[in-house]
Amino acid sequence: MTTIQQPRILGAGVDRVDGPLKVTGQARYPNDVNLPGMAYAAVVRSTIPSGRIRRMDTTAAEKSAGVLEVITHENADHLGEAPATFIKNPQPPLQDDVIRYYGQYVAVVVADTQQNATAAAGLIEVEYDRHEALLDLHDPRAERIKDPWGEDTAWGDVRTALNRAPVVIDQTYTTSENTNNPLGLFTTLAAWDGDTLTLHDSNQWPNMIQQVVAAMFGVPTDAVRVLTPFVGGGFGAGLRCWSHIPLAVMAARHVGRPVKLELTRPEMFTGLGHRTGSVNWIRLGATRDGRLTAIEHESLTTLPLDGDEYEPCSSVSTWSYASPNVTARDQQVRLNIPWTNFMRAPGDAQGNFALESAIDELAWEVGLDPLEIRLLNYAEVDPKTGRPWSSNALRQCLEVGARRFGWSERNPEIRSMRDGHELVGYGVAGVSFFWYQQPCSAKVIVRGDGSAYVRSAVTDIGTGTYTIMAQLAAGLLGLEVEQVEMQLGDSSMPVGTAAGGSGLTAALGSAVHDACGRLIQKFVDLAGTDPFSPLANVPFEDVSVSEGRLFRRGEPTRGESLARILAVHGLTELSADGNSTPNSPDELGMTPAGARGARFVEVRVDEDLGRIRVARIVTVNDGGRILNEKLARSQILGGTVGGVGMALFEDTVTDKDTGRIANATFGDYLIPVNADIPDVHTEFVGEADAFNPIGVKGVGEIGLVGVAPAIANGVFHATGKRIRSLPITMDELLD
Amino acid sequence: MREFRYERPTTVAEAIRAVAHDPEADFLAGGTTEVDLMKDGVLHPDLLVDITRLPLRGVRRNGTMLQVGALTTMEELAADHTLAERAPFVVEALLRGASVQLRNMATIGGNLLQRTRCRYFRDPAVPACNKREPGSGCEAVNSVARMHAILGASPACIALHASDLAVPLVALDAVVHIESEEGERLVPLTQFYLMPGETPDRENVLRHGELITAIDIPLPPEGTRSLYLKIRDRASYEFALTSAAVAVIMDGAVIKDARVAMGGIGTIPWRGFEAEEVLREAPATPETFRSAADGTIRDPFLVPGTAFKVELAKRTLIRALTEVTS
Ligand SMILES: Cc1cc2nc3c(=O)[nH]c(=O)nc-3n(C[C@H](O)[C@H](O)[C@H](O)COP(=O)(O)OP(=O)(O)OC[C@H]3O[C@@H](n4cnc5c(N)ncnc54)[C@H](O)[C@@H]3O)c2cc1C
Ligand code: SF4
Repeated sequence: MTTIQQPRILGAGVDRVDGPLKVTGQARYPNDVNLPGMAYAAVVRSTIPSGRIRRMDTTAAEKSAGVLEVITHENADHLGEAPATFIKNPQPPLQDDVIRYYGQYVAVVVADTQQNATAAAGLIEVEYDRHEALLDLHDPRAERIKDPWGEDTAWGDVRTALNRAPVVIDQTYTTSENTNNPLGLFTTLAAWDGDTLTLHDSNQWPNMIQQVVAAMFGVPTDAVRVLTPFVGGGFGAGLRCWSHIPLAVMAARHVGRPVKLELTRPEMFTGLGHRTGSVNWIRLGATRDGRLTAIEHESLTTLPLDGDEYEPCSSVSTWSYASPNVTARDQQVRLNIPWTNFMRAPGDAQGNFALESAIDELAWEVGLDPLEIRLLNYAEVDPKTGRPWSSNALRQCLEVGARRFGWSERNPEIRSMRDGHELVGYGVAGVSFFWYQQPCSAKVIVRGDGSAYVRSAVTDIGTGTYTIMAQLAAGLLGLEVEQVEMQLGDSSMPVGTAAGGSGLTAALGSAVHDACGRLIQKFVDLAGTDPFSPLANVPFEDVSVSEGRLFRRGEPTRGESLARILAVHGLTELSADGNSTPNSPDELGMTPAGARGARFVEVRVDEDLGRIRVARIVTVNDGGRILNEKLARSQILGGTVGGVGMALFEDTVTDKDTGRIANATFGDYLIPVNADIPDVHTEFVGEADAFNPIGVKGVGEIGLVGVAPAIANGVFHATGKRIRSLPITMDELLD
Repeated sequence: MREFRYERPTTVAEAIRAVAHDPEADFLAGGTTEVDLMKDGVLHPDLLVDITRLPLRGVRRNGTMLQVGALTTMEELAADHTLAERAPFVVEALLRGASVQLRNMATIGGNLLQRTRCRYFRDPAVPACNKREPGSGCEAVNSVARMHAILGASPACIALHASDLAVPLVALDAVVHIESEEGERLVPLTQFYLMPGETPDRENVLRHGELITAIDIPLPPEGTRSLYLKIRDRASYEFALTSAAVAVIMDGAVIKDARVAMGGIGTIPWRGFEAEEVLREAPATPETFRSAADGTIRDPFLVPGTAFKVELAKRTLIRALTEVTS
């Protein structure tokens, strides 16, 4: 245990800086904001999946108590197109009479109270001309998009390799649709003041919302201010400018009052997208001793009629294992369904389930320990380019995890371990997560008392961005965490990127790093203009910072505090802007590796009843430099719970004929409860990553990935039944 | 706002009168079914008569009988010592239902009258539901029906009666006290519920304005062993896929007497008279249990989503019998 057990955890597990605000109810989420004269909106949704609105009768609603306005496609403002940001956004609502999916907004009612708005919305009658809908992934009439992102990948010669391989695994794996279900109901409160607009809005990317809304309403971008200091979770649901946002803005303009639109839980299921279900065909070729010679991975996922989605399920197969021959292809099918959208680990979660199940099948086929086969095929370098990784501790994840779990006690035979009525199985899965980073900026300010402000437009969706950025800035400026005040979630601050793709920590952290470096440079320059400063004539490279003081490295007494430098120069504050853009793999000569991980689970399956229980989980992850172990651990734990949900419960069910989501409530859409989650052991391994200056990889999503295949692999070990479709339910295990 | 009137009488007679004379009035107990369905737009009473101030709360021992006031909450009944001692399966059924928060609100009368969880019943945007709109059809029969019934179902309705509590209570031959302007009548719980047939909107024998005032639970003889086994996808806070309430009196390895009822499978809480017949005076063996199970699950009405419940239900019963007799 001695050689590999030295995780370089550099960030102390300090408590959330926003914790006290949250537990005392002082953190103002968009739902909590109320403005004088505010009116309330309620939406009406289509009850057919495809067709046109023939007639709408709004008279009863208009006459209903307290109603201020009813907006349908007949009296809606004509809005500008949603601009192409990094991702596609829904086109403005209520612009025509066409119905593209069940649950599409067809009207919004504004009233003096929420109750009056909701009641009136129920009085609107809509008649439709229904058209035939495309609802099935395999419907031959549906448009199929090949290579949707131009990312299909191939190297070597998979055909020949598969033909020659002594062992071939050829299987299909499917995953169900899942819904993000952040607990906080998404809310938009829109307030116009002349031609400027303030939005209190639940989202994961304030600058994107700002840009889209400004374009739709034809106002300059900086006339729109989006405030999102706190959000009640997102899991990807807040990465687009969903249609309820322009609806609220339009409603506010119509009634000349601030309008609040809070979605209901069923509306959250149709209005914020969901994780696409997937079909994955995998063919593995291998030698008799389990060495991979070919991986072929094709995926099929869904798209709404008018949307796009980046969900490359097959790409995990291009970087997870060393194989001389690889083909990875994705296809999408357009259907009359609500938007598919990013959900914690989009594409990777589904693709990893398929790949890690297939690898497990290969292990059984060649008679290798499922752990061994993963180590045997470990990708020492990027298998596609042959370049070194920026860092990759997958091997350590597997080895440390196996020890913590007690993998060696596993009896390799299937159905060999039992406890009373229960068959016991051990399952393992490896995870190689994607890498992602976008440009970002931040401003850092040091005030007269030596304390600092950090500002950026990005939001903290509950992951801990406030805290880790305060830690980072404190570390870089030589301050205490308490001396750093964070201001996030305001589009008027320095432009920030999305809190998504596990990429915010690297993006914002690098920007804060840049800003802090520039700011110290400014202080050093300033001190240099003062002939009496102990720092005069000390070159920037020789300056260190600690406890709020700059000093000459190796000569701690030769220095000056930040506060004193400001005072000497009669300044109240000094600030610097910082920017980050992702480095270039070509220039650095390395491939950026996302987070890595390993999952070990013990499952128990009741032999007669098929009931599945997860008894133990060990999850070991390489997230590069961990800035705050406590928060990182929370991310992994939350992801693990999501992974158990994906494996055993979560299934957004669409009615075959109507396209209606049949289980759009928390009574019917099952997510794990406490009793479903066993003891979870988390641990971090690895070292600072070389691809960004702060060495992080982002751990927001990886925790979820790999849990489902580890459970499925454990179910196989326990029962001898290979379940290739999620969720795994007891009916599939009844003999 | 959708308006309705609200009254909170303090006597049984007033409450009954208020509802009986208004065809659009409903009683309101804990509200965990009634208010939910009002919010969903399924129920639209114009008058809610809140009965929580009526003196119908508490558990009384009456010889070999427990008389449970209709307004006793699920948690209160679950805390009853006599019940825990003499018929623990009732307590188990209570505590495996809903959540603590709900059980603190939900009443015993309301529990027996809870409405089905059928997803199509609970969403008024779905046009076809014979239970909600008589004669409109049944959406569930052709759709996603995992949580639906396989016994007592008809093409007109396959909705499950989802109460856990009712399962051991039908096994024990509990009796419902019903009060109306005409006076009191007593109905055995086994005859209280109606199968859907062609009229799934009629779920039980209550007439409009009739109030459940109490439930009599006959205590099984001392020495009776009982057990409630609830099988569901997740570990708590979910309704049963299948459940079995079993009570036995053993004489060595022979079953002297048995009571059996099943949940999660019937349009009404399903009493297993056939199983009891098989079990009585039979040895406690796997063969006996299997034939008891086969006797209970007969002529199921299946749709694709519910087919697995036939075998699951049988094994649930077998497991419950195995455990309670060993
Ligand atoms: C999320 C959730 C999960 C649940 N899970 C479970 C579960 O696992 N197992 C389970 O068994 N139950 C479960 N339930 C159902 C719950 O137990 C019932 O909703 C509850 O018992 C109803 O009691 P109440 O007092 O709230 O009834 P109310 O909602 O007040 O009334 C229900 C109905 O009965 C009528 N009524 C009430 N009392 C009387 C009376 N004395 N006489 C005549 N009519 C009356 C009302 O008019 C109404 O129509 C769940 C409910 C919810 C919301
Ligand atoms: S099963 Fe019964 S309650 Fe459900 S839709 Fe059919 S008729 Fe309605």
